[in-house]
Amino acid sequence: MAEKILSPQEKRIEANKGQVIFSKGSRVQRIYDSFQGSRSSVDVQRARYFTESFKTTEGQSLVLRWAKALYHVAENIEVIINDDELLVGRVGGQGKYGLIYPELDGCFLQSFAEQAANRVESPFEISDEDIRIIQKEIAPYWDGKTYYEDLARSLPEDVLKITYDPVDTFTSRFIANETSSMRSALQWVHDFGKGIDEGFESIKAEAQEKLSQLNPLDPHDSIDKAEFYEAVIIISDAIILWAQRYSDEARRLADSTKDEKRRQELLEISRIAAKVPRYPAESFYEAMQSQWFIQLFSRLEQKTGATISNGRMDQYLYPYYKKDIEAGKITKDFVKELFQCMWLGMAQYQDLYVSPAGVKFNEGYAHWEAVTVGGVDKNGNDAVNDLTYILLENKREFPLNYPDLAARVHVGSSQEYLEEVATTISDGAGFPKLLNDEEIIPLLLAKGADIASARDYAVSGCTEVRMPNLDTFTTPCAFLNLGAVMELTLRNGRMAKYGDELLTIETGNPADFASYEDFERAFIDQEKFVLKQTFRQQYIANRTRPKHFASPLGSALHALCMENGLDLHSEHIPGGIDLGYFDFIGLASVADSLAAIKKNVYEDKTLNWQQVLSAIDADYEGYEDVRQRLLHSPAYGNNDPYVDEIAKLIDRVGVEFAKENAKYLGVNIDLRYVSQSANVPFGKVVGALPNGRRAGTALSDGSSASQGADINGPTAVLLSNFNTKNTEYINRASRLLNVKLSPSTVAGRDGNAKIIALIRAWCKLKLWHLQFNIINRETLLKAQKNPEQYRSLLVRVAGYSAYFVELSPDLQEDIIQRTEHELSA
Amino acid sequence: MEEGIVTNIQHFSLEDGPGIRTVIFFKGCPFRCKWCANPETQKFHPELGWSRGSCLQCGSCVKKLYKYNISLKNEEVNWGDKTGRAGSIPSQEEVDLACPTKSLHIIGKKYKVSELIDILIEQKPFFDETGGLTLSGGEPLAQPNFAEALLKKAKGNGIRTAIETTSYAQWDVVENIASHIDYYMTDIKVMDSGLHEKWTGLPNQKLLSNIERLLGEFPKVHFRIRTPVIPGVNDNPEAIIAIGKFLKPFENRGELEWELLKYHRLGVPKYEALHREYPMGLVELSQDKFNELKSVASFVFENVI
Repeated sequence: MAEKILSPQEKRIEANKGQVIFSKGSRVQRIYDSFQGSRSSVDVQRARYFTESFKTTEGQSLVLRWAKALYHVAENIEVIINDDELLVGRVGGQGKYGLIYPELDGCFLQSFAEQAANRVESPFEISDEDIRIIQKEIAPYWDGKTYYEDLARSLPEDVLKITYDPVDTFTSRFIANETSSMRSALQWVHDFGKGIDEGFESIKAEAQEKLSQLNPLDPHDSIDKAEFYEAVIIISDAIILWAQRYSDEARRLADSTKDEKRRQELLEISRIAAKVPRYPAESFYEAMQSQWFIQLFSRLEQKTGATISNGRMDQYLYPYYKKDIEAGKITKDFVKELFQCMWLGMAQYQDLYVSPAGVKFNEGYAHWEAVTVGGVDKNGNDAVNDLTYILLENKREFPLNYPDLAARVHVGSSQEYLEEVATTISDGAGFPKLLNDEEIIPLLLAKGADIASARDYAVSGCTEVRMPNLDTFTTPCAFLNLGAVMELTLRNGRMAKYGDELLTIETGNPADFASYEDFERAFIDQEKFVLKQTFRQQYIANRTRPKHFASPLGSALHALCMENGLDLHSEHIPGGIDLGYFDFIGLASVADSLAAIKKNVYEDKTLNWQQVLSAIDADYEGYEDVRQRLLHSPAYGNNDPYVDEIAKLIDRVGVEFAKENAKYLGVNIDLRYVSQSANVPFGKVVGALPNGRRAGTALSDGSSASQGADINGPTAVLLSNFNTKNTEYINRASRLLNVKLSPSTVAGRDGNAKIIALIRAWCKLKLWHLQFNIINRETLLKAQKNPEQYRSLLVRVAGYSAYFVELSPDLQEDIIQRTEHELSA
Repeated sequence: MEEGIVTNIQHFSLEDGPGIRTVIFFKGCPFRCKWCANPETQKFHPELGWSRGSCLQCGSCVKKLYKYNISLKNEEVNWGDKTGRAGSIPSQEEVDLACPTKSLHIIGKKYKVSELIDILIEQKPFFDETGGLTLSGGEPLAQPNFAEALLKKAKGNGIRTAIETTSYAQWDVVENIASHIDYYMTDIKVMDSGLHEKWTGLPNQKLLSNIERLLGEFPKVHFRIRTPVIPGVNDNPEAIIAIGKFLKPFENRGELEWELLKYHRLGVPKYEALHREYPMGLVELSQDKFNELKSVASFVFENVI
């Protein structure tokens, strides 16, 4: 029997019975051991001190209140330095912790405090004392004042009813779902380089200089802008104070430790924390500590979607690295160790969602502070350097999920770079994810970016990108449920889950549609109506947020905010580019549904509407023949023009709507397909669909095919993706694309060549994003149990082809036992 | 324009030549190897196939295709005429309309060369610097005009070419096809011609002499000789050594390797789908024995994989 092929990471984990392991006795192992067993707990400090301060600043401008509140947090939050740490700073207690942001969704806190420890999805430990603090000190103050409540109150009735349950606005309907109430801002990327290179004394001086230049006779200057610059000064003092407290603590610990080596480390930490981020960093170590303080302080400032991404680390850290390595002051091992200390710090932070909708959207504790590597530089030359390679190598060696590594690729990416990327993909669990300069840079240019900023984009969250000194739109955007749009078409503006209530418009009873075109038109009318409501909802969110959120730290690091004296959350900032989006969820599910009806009801006439509608009403119970018929119709993801043309039409309706209507909002609102895991909760509200999908099950994700429907392999998936873009418009944003591969496809030098060929093709096809999922034993076991979802798994042996699910159980077992390498997606 | 019959087309193939490839499985083969894993590619005419796993037993085929004598008995769909006589089986379209699950299906479809070229051109971005088209089967040499026209046209479109073949044909046919091939994969199953005929239906002199000439006369083509190691046929050191000795004189030509493939039973469900007996029964080949034979092979021949 051949040995089961596992990725090197899987091997390491298997060898240690699931325990992640670093080199034995190493610093990182000890740090890891210090928290790995602990359960995630709620840390109330940020919410508590933030609220305490807010109680005392009523009536002042929001940005000033925010800066003062953060100063109060910086003064009081516990300062903890653990053994072995080289980078210091944390924004919660010991172990794994999550923070709460009552200004956002404090209206859910009373019940959250009681249920946090016992909720099914992502539970958090919470002490009785903290429950008391939440219920008595924090939640009562925010009652009626939260963003969530304001938004719910502000939505007109017709928008409200496809957003929340109008009777209970704490319950989402998952039709056109806003996401601004579950995070304070869109995923963001700071100009970390500015913080590291200049330091906050310099930022403070810049603010003071701006203050002195304001026109005392213009109240816009002397009041609004003055308050903004004062807030920048306060926030600079806050982060300096907080770092100084770490310096003091390190000094105290150094004085008390008996371990001489640790004493020296602590003295060095104390020196560095007194210096950065106050002053410019002058060494690689200082730059890393400065970045870490800024990153952490951002978490205190606000809850962003997937927090603050790390930007192009191989670019802004490179000068420090180069200087120190050339001077012989640091080694590559030390550089890696510092990175690993940062990733371990990130791993202890847990993304905590308070609202039920937030939890459903983001199951688990994961957060995506993307680290971007590679791509082109501001001049268009290849930007890869030694640090790029170190970060890739580090990803292979470091067995935790952090950081979320993103590699930029362009047509001129070197073979050497792609070899390293491919090796990392096969060693790790499919990371790094890839982003395509050939699609992204031209789109940013077309939307008004200057060429240097466009080339210098950084990945933000899972697939989005930011230009840290040019992007100015921070309102989280809506997710639009295409599966619901299909059901609204089938049920004449209603959904089974919500009874007889007319949710949208009546477009007729499908049984009366004489032609496929009538059905398609009804769908498009529903799509346009929900789009209209989504844009109205977005407009209200854009308008409401500046009253509830400010970001003095984020603004201090943003050139346009500093120039204009405006907070980052202002509705418009002169000179900025506002890049928002709306997310279509379930593209493949509905394209396949339309195709199945077209083929079976109108062309082949193998089914009639009555049969289809009865089958759907019964969730296909007793209608398996109907379901199979629908399921075996042309499906998106197979490079089949029959259905790809339909998907392209759905896309075109979206981008054309955006082109014509975003102007009323004054921002770019572009179509993207990045459901992440939201295709699951959105699927829960949608009844059976005409592509054979059963009620309540997941919709298709991102721009991927329906589960198991892509039976022609990954090249067809990429081509369908390419075929369904309406490239004559620029009103598109990211598309998330997952491709399954087996460990052996990707093993060895030969495997690398194949991954690289796939990457180069993807790059030439100008698709936005690509991530590989490595198939493992678990996937195959699932496929055995649930063959329908895994129809696309091919068994590949020389000169032979068949689908895994078609094999008899004993042959499947043989494949599972023997080799995974005979499979590819 | 040339046309031919194809069993299926598979994209993103990783085991049939270098890089990412599109494999076109020809339909029809002069051999009847008892271990064949692709029995659906053996006959030159379209056939009906039936997959038990996805069948609903709904009987729709029996009703809608009554002309073709389809039956559903003992939870098994069967049909009378397996001769390939014109009109003896329903058309693709008729089957699609009758069967909701595609459990009943037609194997084999005629393609024009131009249709295949359109399909290949779509896949070109994935071929990159190494991949391309692989002809497989079935036996591509058994449809020589179709294969040649396809290869020529693919080459003309900048697509690299590979073939998986028995090398069983008149020399001029083999020579002509090989002249359009970059990467040539061919079987040598067993050197004893009597044994060869017993297990595959045909003797081996012709293909061996063709392979010898190919190795000598096409120095620029990459060759991969494949030996499927089959229990009871060649799973002994003598049989393997005999093949190694045949290859030995070409050891230094470069661009030549010898690959041993382990017997597998993955073709079994396909025999069931065609209502044919699987001729190998339940035999197995242990991994240990296979490894042992592989090391025997490497004693005789340098470049064994």
